[in-house]
Amino acid sequence: MPVNNPNIPMVPKNEGLLWKWMRYSAILLVPLAWGHVLIQDVLVGGHGISLDYVALRWSMIGWRIYDFLLLAFAFAHGVNGLRQVLFDYVQSAKSRQVVAWGLFAFWLLISLVGAVAIIGGVKFSS
Amino acid sequence: MGPRFVKTLSGYATYKGSKGFLAFLLHRVTGLGTLLFLTGHVTTTATVYFYSPWYNRLMEVFRLPLVMFAEMILVFCVIYHGANGLRIAYIDLYKPQMLAARQSNKAVLTTFIVAVLLWLPTAVVMGYNLLKYGFGLLGGE
Repeated sequence: MPVNNPNIPMVPKNEGLLWKWMRYSAILLVPLAWGHVLIQDVLVGGHGISLDYVALRWSMIGWRIYDFLLLAFAFAHGVNGLRQVLFDYVQSAKSRQVVAWGLFAFWLLISLVGAVAIIGGVKFSS
Repeated sequence: MGPRFVKTLSGYATYKGSKGFLAFLLHRVTGLGTLLFLTGHVTTTATVYFYSPWYNRLMEVFRLPLVMFAEMILVFCVIYHGANGLRIAYIDLYKPQMLAARQSNKAVLTTFIVAVLLWLPTAVVMGYNLLKYGFGLLGGE
């Protein structure tokens, strides 16, 4: 059984910290994500969303901060969750290292793309 | 990973455990589904800055009836994952002595029912929008 392999620590470094992070971020994400879904998917709906709508929304700094927090917490929570799932199937220390670094790069790339867009705002092309 | 993965999947299919196991599975599926959407959502929304002519065209995809239907399932995923996550987070962080209660069938079932009840009104509104804007019924186009 892979769990008895002495080369694989039962509890990876910082796993306890991440265990707490998943739960604290969950408590913050429930109002953030549910609020976002309620407004965008239910009250406004895809038929009401356009470039002008995003520009109007992001003209208010409060909504930009809201979206920035949602991006930062939701995406990190999601990618760490994916890591937890993958670690159930990938059990050698070396493969886990590859998965962890791959996911870290993925998290960094998508978070940066999203953060640049929120800070840069809507750029209408002429 | 191959044989172990197959073994895991067949284990999922044949395991006759408590409802907690179903909650565990549903929590994973709804979380992974939400992350998949989120990745696409962040990158498509980011076109508003990187190349805005693409944005309105990408939004047309979200107005396809099939995608609007998938959006209703996504909303259920976010509601269930959040409700179930709150059950886990609250008891693990603040009431660890209630671990047995958190893992009980009753807690799992209650969470599921709460999630469905929260989802139903969103499904009514989004179902109406699907008929109106997706299929052009009810005076929509």
